[in-house]
Amino acid sequence: MIYKIFKKELIDTLRDRRTLMTMLIIPILVFPITLNIFVNLSASYEKSATKETMKIGIIGNKKQYLADELNEIPEEMGNKKLIFFRDSISLFRSLQNDSIQLGIVTGNAFDLQLKTMFPAEVKWYFDASEIGRKERAELYMNIIETKAQEKRYTDLQVDGRKINPFNTEYINVASDKKMIGKLAGGILPYIFIAFGFIGCMYPAIDLFTGEKERGTIETLLTTPVSRWQILIGKMLVVILSGLVAATCSLLGLFISIEFLNIVENQELLKIIHEVLSFSFIATLFSLLIPLTVFFAGVMIPIAVYAKTFKEAQSIITPLNIVMVLPAMIGFFPGIELNFKTACIPVVNVVLATKELIAGTLELKYLLLSFSVMILLAATSVFVSFRQFGKETNILN
Amino acid sequence: MIQVTNLSKEFTLTRKQRKELNTEESIANAVDNISFNCKPGSVFSLLGPNGAGKTTTLRMLATIYTPTSGSIEIAGIDAIKYPQEARKKIGFLTGSTGLYARLTPIEIIDYFASLYNVPNQQREERKKYLFELLNMNDFLNKRIGKLSTGMKQKVSICRTMIHDPEVVIFDEPTSGLDVITAENIIKLIRDCKEQQKTVIFSSHIMSEVDLLCDDLAIIHQGKIKHQGSMSDFRKEMIESNLTAEFIRIVQS
Repeated sequence: MIYKIFKKELIDTLRDRRTLMTMLIIPILVFPITLNIFVNLSASYEKSATKETMKIGIIGNKKQYLADELNEIPEEMGNKKLIFFRDSISLFRSLQNDSIQLGIVTGNAFDLQLKTMFPAEVKWYFDASEIGRKERAELYMNIIETKAQEKRYTDLQVDGRKINPFNTEYINVASDKKMIGKLAGGILPYIFIAFGFIGCMYPAIDLFTGEKERGTIETLLTTPVSRWQILIGKMLVVILSGLVAATCSLLGLFISIEFLNIVENQELLKIIHEVLSFSFIATLFSLLIPLTVFFAGVMIPIAVYAKTFKEAQSIITPLNIVMVLPAMIGFFPGIELNFKTACIPVVNVVLATKELIAGTLELKYLLLSFSVMILLAATSVFVSFRQFGKETNILN
Repeated sequence: MIQVTNLSKEFTLTRKQRKELNTEESIANAVDNISFNCKPGSVFSLLGPNGAGKTTTLRMLATIYTPTSGSIEIAGIDAIKYPQEARKKIGFLTGSTGLYARLTPIEIIDYFASLYNVPNQQREERKKYLFELLNMNDFLNKRIGKLSTGMKQKVSICRTMIHDPEVVIFDEPTSGLDVITAENIIKLIRDCKEQQKTVIFSSHIMSEVDLLCDDLAIIHQGKIKHQGSMSDFRKEMIESNLTAEFIRIVQS
């Protein structure tokens, strides 16, 4: 009987355009489209940022130390044009109206400080809300400073290496896979959770509130099928829809990585391919299936209680934030899977996936997370059953 | 055969419902200790104004609601103890019944036949018989959402009768239908009677009751105000017409 209910509800659901959009089309297309736009935009920005001619304002005449040094920097390091000002007031005004992009102000004793080998005071002014300006100022100043430093070593007849007592290197022993897992591994379960929730939403409302609103539930309840069988048959469709939506979003992400060349770094690409193994996907699904059951178990009592599609939608939509918010906790670096976090639903799934990608997942925590999610899923199914059994809920 | 004895149904009122009904009572007696008997081969009518308790009574007979007290026997089965067994014997049709708009008539009929566990051969025979009887063959593969009200009503009838039920329950079946579409229902009720099925239907239209029923019960505020055969009702009436007599009984 459950299979008969499931089959009919699945056919009905697959013919609903709204469900198809949220279950298949949007999850598949969202990543290829957004990532493609993002990659193209950032590439075109980078191109235009290096081509952009920076107008650099300097107080004083053309014959001065910093102007000479800047003019010597080759154009390959970025196009530039020097503009000379009589005073700082006119320089700042030009900075504010963007007729110059960088402004240099030196101290009164600049030449003397240079000559007497004291640190010479230089201030670069720029608008930090415009990306790339600070970077250009730092690039130019590093070149000028390195050259000045070498000149001082020569003048003082000192070996530069003797000035620095240590030659320190900070070496990261974590593998790239671990780094990716710990820092960016949270995104995968986050995507799955967000789309899994949205994928469950419309079928849950349509199959429970919708059936009540359309007046079809009464007939179904007069057939020799028990209520728990009806509930389970419908619930399986809701769970499947959530899983399909989440899988489609991952498929979309995979298509973006494989065919849209959004990851140019070959090492990173190799790690991503390593991560997306069969065992990884199987473990991920073992955590996400109870989570999707839990989502369905949360939505169904609301859908059963609500009298109209709109009412159900207005309660379930904000719930999305409540469910997805814990998933964001997993993004914070430093939060690890332990006995405490393994007991927090949603958070445990995100953290377990991060550890799984990083290759540092401990079996005891995986089992604890899995048990917590199973317990929660079972509770939510029980609550759904209680709600669906109430006479006052099932008929308007 | 339907045997109803001392049947009652209470609903707990929410605060909102108490406000709407302007009452301090936390319990509403939708049906209050009613008893009646419907025989095979005859049509029993449950007549009453809106909110009288007709739908609640029929929903209890169809095992959608569980009674607070009393007993229901459907074709010899205790419907409270064995609701699933009782449902196998029941066909249920209401005026407000909806159909799955994204499915076709044939899919709906097959779905319900499978829920009633109708064997394949019997299913095909019943489908053929009902499709021809109701003249449905032209729109069997069209989606319900694209059908007219009359066509949908035919699908509902077919869905109700696919498992050849012994007992047929109609809850205001002609409500909201035009006279031509309502005629399909009238014909169905007559056919059921001819086939020796037990038929109970609720209505608030006296002319419809006069046309079809053999026995009737007038229900008001959950209580039965009058019960007997239609012929006795006609003989004993004080007012000049059936509707006026119905109003007199309800208001007495």
